[in-house]
Amino acid sequence: MNIIEIKDLKKDYPLGATIVPALRGVNLAVAEGDFMSIIGPSGSGKTTLLNIIGCIDLATSGSVKVAGREITALSDRQITEIRLNKIGFIFQTFNLIPVLNVMENIEFPLLLMKRPAAEVRKRAEKLVEEVGLKEHVKHRPSELSGGQRQRVAIARALITNPGIVLADEPTANLDSVTGASILELMKRMNELEKTTFIFSTHDANVLKYARRIVKIKDGSIEQEPVPA
Amino acid sequence: MKLIFTIAWRNILRHKGKSLVIGVILFTGAFLMTVGNGVISGMAAGIEKNIINGFMGDLVLMSDAQKSDNILMNMMGSSIEPITTYKDIKGILAAQPYIKNFLPVGKNLAMLLDESASAPGYAYLLGVDFTEYRKMFPDNFTVIEGSYPAPGQRALLIPTFARDEFYDFYNIWFLPEGGGLIKENLKKEALANIKTLVVSTSVVMMGMTSGINTTTDIRFPVTGIVKFGALNQIFGHFCLVDIESYRECLGYFTASDMAGQVPKEEKKLLNLEGADLDSLFGGEAMLVADTKKAPRIKLVPVGTAKLAEDGVYNAVFIKLNPGVTYKDALKKLNKALAEGKTGVRAVTWNAASGPIGGMALIIKGALFLFVSLLFCVAVIIIVNTLTMAALERASEIGMMRAIGAHKTFIAGMFIGETAILSAVFGGAGIVAGIVTVRIIPLLKITTANDMLQLLYGGNYFHPLLSISGVALTALQLLFVTIIAALYPMRVAAHITPLDAISRD
Repeated sequence: MNIIEIKDLKKDYPLGATIVPALRGVNLAVAEGDFMSIIGPSGSGKTTLLNIIGCIDLATSGSVKVAGREITALSDRQITEIRLNKIGFIFQTFNLIPVLNVMENIEFPLLLMKRPAAEVRKRAEKLVEEVGLKEHVKHRPSELSGGQRQRVAIARALITNPGIVLADEPTANLDSVTGASILELMKRMNELEKTTFIFSTHDANVLKYARRIVKIKDGSIEQEPVPA
Repeated sequence: MKLIFTIAWRNILRHKGKSLVIGVILFTGAFLMTVGNGVISGMAAGIEKNIINGFMGDLVLMSDAQKSDNILMNMMGSSIEPITTYKDIKGILAAQPYIKNFLPVGKNLAMLLDESASAPGYAYLLGVDFTEYRKMFPDNFTVIEGSYPAPGQRALLIPTFARDEFYDFYNIWFLPEGGGLIKENLKKEALANIKTLVVSTSVVMMGMTSGINTTTDIRFPVTGIVKFGALNQIFGHFCLVDIESYRECLGYFTASDMAGQVPKEEKKLLNLEGADLDSLFGGEAMLVADTKKAPRIKLVPVGTAKLAEDGVYNAVFIKLNPGVTYKDALKKLNKALAEGKTGVRAVTWNAASGPIGGMALIIKGALFLFVSLLFCVAVIIIVNTLTMAALERASEIGMMRAIGAHKTFIAGMFIGETAILSAVFGGAGIVAGIVTVRIIPLLKITTANDMLQLLYGGNYFHPLLSISGVALTALQLLFVTIIAALYPMRVAAHITPLDAISRD
């Protein structure tokens, strides 16, 4: 069953009087539980595609269905609800809330959902253990390394049990060893939580972790290389 | 809610510099607002207390024929209608259990005559029974020159403020009969011209009413110079004269006339008896009154208090017992007066004092405007600082929105930050303001300056803060908080996840 279905997706950015096409009619289906990588050079449109899938950006035309729901014509409130309940995000620059500690950052999405405190704490503790940050629960983001912050972001992305986790260049700011450990963790979590992972990268070393690879160039999907 | 306040509180601590700037502004604003409210309340209470206790009581009776309620400082030329039924009124007032005491008075404008002046000057006259007046307002003024009139004595008491004004107009320095020149009491300009200073121990006045221009000019011997304990600049406009002289000056029937059992139908005709008929042929006649011939009416002793009560008055000042509300008292009293067919009505001191009651309101408004302007500046600075903070935190806010925070959550976060700052710093400002308002009266700050006395509400600076005053300040602070947070909140709530990503 497909958790994401994209048909003829186009995205244009106005640049003064010029229109810059970022996506030129993308068609894509992602199966539930997949661990997929979108690859392509800088400016190819992979971040734009992830943003639209993640309900962060709006399509110019075409259809995007996330977890069976068309997202191109929803209100801000509905879009936010989808982001909260269905999608987890891991950003390139380990976007954590600086004034919250590790545990609070992980708990944040569940607290937004107004879940009971005991349930929130139980789930967060489980994830903290899984991402290996049990010793750092009271630390603020500024007291963590890049890799540790990205682990927090992964745990936070998974805490709501989302159908999809989107990661935009999750290893771009990490050294290769740390980057590899993060991808290992993401893959382990994919297997453990049965969550669909889609991550963008332009690092060829990352590809070996993907079960499926989508190559994008100049706003169009070129081919689907076979994973290594 | 807990999450919002946790993030808000920690953000305040994280951005200490900005928080401190906003906090100091809120503290200063709340402090000034509290003290300002205290000064306003103290002033209003002071003016009220001084007017009620020292000048006109709680309620004022006036004739039903009187168009305007303002009888104290009315426009030049508009006279106060006479009350001819005081004997009946007295009985009604005495029967009201909520009334503490009352005093009938004559109040109108008189023209000061002096042939050397090109135009006449004016004085407000308050005709009273001096013995009764002292009972009603025991300590409202001090006789600084001369003496307080003896019972039944024909007398004129000039307040220092009026004497200064008369000097400005006529260059004559009035002294009480038998009194000498006291240098310390001289006006600065008079002191400078002391060698050529013209002094006089009597004042020639001619009463003015719109119905009857009497041209009955009377030379009043000055009995004393008085200074009101508070608000001398307001009360000092009024020269106090014995009621019989007042009536004669105004051309009213005196108690002596009434004692002559004049039939009512003849009163109107007889009323012209004392008038200068020349004056009926033109306004000029009033302006050229020959003061050297005054008094044209011989001032005889007033006689008994009973006789004084029989004549004409213009108003009755009433003091109420403590705890009686104006609303209740007015309702009951006006009902009793109407049933007694007295032809008079009761109004509050505030309505009867016209511009004086209004003055309290004007000063109150001016102070309020000042503090409001201060808060406007505070709002602008806070809005600016918070908006900058919102934009600086666009990445963080956008990320929160990306992972599912609604606009209301972001807005709540900003409201939370402003609310905490307001509660902590504004609260401290209010407390500091309360302490200051409590300390100021202990410093016993007094002033002889008439304008400052208006601000003080008396001669003693006594700011006053009630619970409602503090609540008002807290409400104003809440209003400022909401207004200051609105725009930054809107800016923050409109930050999109995409903004966060593009800023990276």
